Amino acid sequence: MTISKFTDKLFSRAALRGIVAIGIFMVFWEVGARSEEWFGHRFPFIGLVPPPTDVFVSWTGLIADPSYWQSWYMSFLRVFGGFMAAMIVGIPLGLLMAVNRTFYGMAFPSFEVLRPIPPLAWVPASIIFWPTQELSIAFVTFLGAFYTIVINVLGGAKSINKQFLQAAQSMGASQWDIFRRIVLPATLPSIVVGSAVGMGITWEVVVAAEMISGGGSSGGGAGGGLGFFIWSSYVGGSYEQIIVGMISIGIAGYISSELLRQLGGLLTPWLKTR
Amino acid sequence: MPDPANNSEILRALKSAMPFQMVPDNLIQEIAGICTQQSYDSGQKIYDLGDVADDVFIVVSGSVQHVLSTQTDAGKHEKTMRGGDVFGWAAVLEGQSTRLAVTVSIEPTQVLRINGKGLIQVFKSEPAVGDVVMTRFATLINREFYVPRSIADQVPSFKQALGASSLQGSEVTTMALTVYRISTWIKSPRPYLMLIGFAFFLGFWMLSVEVWQLPRFVDMPGPTEVFTEWFSEDPYYGLSVYTPEYYKHIGISLRRIAFAFFLATGLGVPLGLFLGWSKTFREFIFPLFEVLRPIPVLAWVPLAIIIFSGSETPVVFLTFLASFFATTLNTMLGVESIDESYSRAAYCLGASRWQTFVHVVIPGAMPYIFTGLQISIGVAWFSLVAGEMVSGQYGLGYVINTAYMMIEYPKIIIGMITLGVVGYTTSAMVRMMGDYLMQWRVRELALGDN
Repeated sequence: MTISKFTDKLFSRAALRGIVAIGIFMVFWEVGARSEEWFGHRFPFIGLVPPPTDVFVSWTGLIADPSYWQSWYMSFLRVFGGFMAAMIVGIPLGLLMAVNRTFYGMAFPSFEVLRPIPPLAWVPASIIFWPTQELSIAFVTFLGAFYTIVINVLGGAKSINKQFLQAAQSMGASQWDIFRRIVLPATLPSIVVGSAVGMGITWEVVVAAEMISGGGSSGGGAGGGLGFFIWSSYVGGSYEQIIVGMISIGIAGYISSELLRQLGGLLTPWLKTR
Repeated sequence: MPDPANNSEILRALKSAMPFQMVPDNLIQEIAGICTQQSYDSGQKIYDLGDVADDVFIVVSGSVQHVLSTQTDAGKHEKTMRGGDVFGWAAVLEGQSTRLAVTVSIEPTQVLRINGKGLIQVFKSEPAVGDVVMTRFATLINREFYVPRSIADQVPSFKQALGASSLQGSEVTTMALTVYRISTWIKSPRPYLMLIGFAFFLGFWMLSVEVWQLPRFVDMPGPTEVFTEWFSEDPYYGLSVYTPEYYKHIGISLRRIAFAFFLATGLGVPLGLFLGWSKTFREFIFPLFEVLRPIPVLAWVPLAIIIFSGSETPVVFLTFLASFFATTLNTMLGVESIDESYSRAAYCLGASRWQTFVHVVIPGAMPYIFTGLQISIGVAWFSLVAGEMVSGQYGLGYVINTAYMMIEYPKIIIGMITLGVVGYTTSAMVRMMGDYLMQWRVRELALGDN
């Protein structure tokens, strides 16, 4: 009891300090943004940003707007589509490369040659290749998560202690048993880490892909996703909405990462330290 | 010359002695040629203090009592030598002509005697090996006989003594090592599998696009088209390795990366160090940092365009932002990874807060900082491409995007490959710099502390 009280107190002090810092930041932002209005002289850089109160007002207006939520939905759909595809292709590929040396020797160098090309450099090529814009955005999103997942799965599987495999084999385990009882549990933590990192990259990519390709097949502000929401707000000159879009993407990305972390914790209960 | 049976016994004895373990076989043979075997009865004196130091001894069987003179300031004077132990090392020390110890056999003992001058002569032909053996002698003298370093440092160094010619010798060995590595690589299946893999990849690309002309693939530029354009002196779309424009794009991208990367390192590393070091500072600043971090760097694009006028600054700012978050976070984690007992030990020994920061916190966080820099250069390229595609003029991302707009498709692939190559090179440079600067750590892990 006393310990939990103590941690509560500690936590509250840290939380208080965090709130104070964010509050100061907000005040600075507000004052800076309104400097022209209030002091008649615009502060450099910050003076061009819309003030937080305006952003908040603009946001409350948007909450009732279904097209704003449609953007959320579209971005989430693309992220999860690309991410799922990366998991479905990447995990078996990584495991196969870890298990089969010949396949590793053939596939890994090509993989390493393609990996340094940033996913966004693929945007034009994938627009040319895929029949719909939706598919080309999904493909670039897929690429973003794919490399990280494969590398992590491969690293996890390669770090398995050989003696475990030998012990299992000498006691008569079948290939499936070895895979199910040793390889899979040993690689799960790195799969979890890889997908958490991959999820972060996926959000980065989806935003940029939506901006560059101009929204997606449904066109217009309604079906474009959050990246397009930001871009169209910029083009339309409503700068408050840019910030709303940025914060929305931050929240969306945070929610997905947190969901993934919780899921990862459930899948690897033996890693919990407490 | 000793007879063959005897010779193999000498070889075995030499190989069992610590300083000679690394010596290649041909040299061991040569050393064996200048060895003599000798037996002593129980209680017989082998040499006395002040005798002429001519030979180095290796115990083959039996045991020898070794008592160092008090003048050596050794930490421990008495030592019993058994099979494989080496003594009489005064014979190889520079500026030492007489014995520093008394040695007596305490049971019937067989020893190998190697003439010290002869040994040094042998090593002059192979200075790289000689230096390894002498370093091992120095370690032996210092560690096993507890003799101060000042004496151990008298072992000769061959590279210094021989000057330029010895350098050539060491070069030959590194080249031999490279040749050896290449030859084992060629003999392994790896290069052939790699070639098969590349052939599959290029073959699939070529067949699907150029030969079979599959439905969706036919719109893509094929490998022949791309490579003829890339290496053409008179490129159809105006971009190849012979056009100065190509290098201008690379140069501008590199300049943006360099500027953003160094700025991010210069700001991110100190900020990360302070965040990790001071709890108060972290409690104030880190929540703010965490609130801003989930926003993807690319979502900043329009805001960056609004805040910074022109097309150059926004791109650099985006690149900087991505690098900055990676560097700061890793540096902070690096400081947190340091075992707290190090700082406590430093405080106990009277170090000030500043001294602890400089001598404990910064070196301790270094490995994480360099990991952070590697991530940072990767994400820098990632966001540079996005920035250049959306705004900006020149640069490789711009090449890709305009090539798409102008329907000059081979240029897209040229831009992508170039990005891959340049990006990989810069990452490799950062990694190599990190490895080079982290050598002290590897050395410390390998050798332990003296």
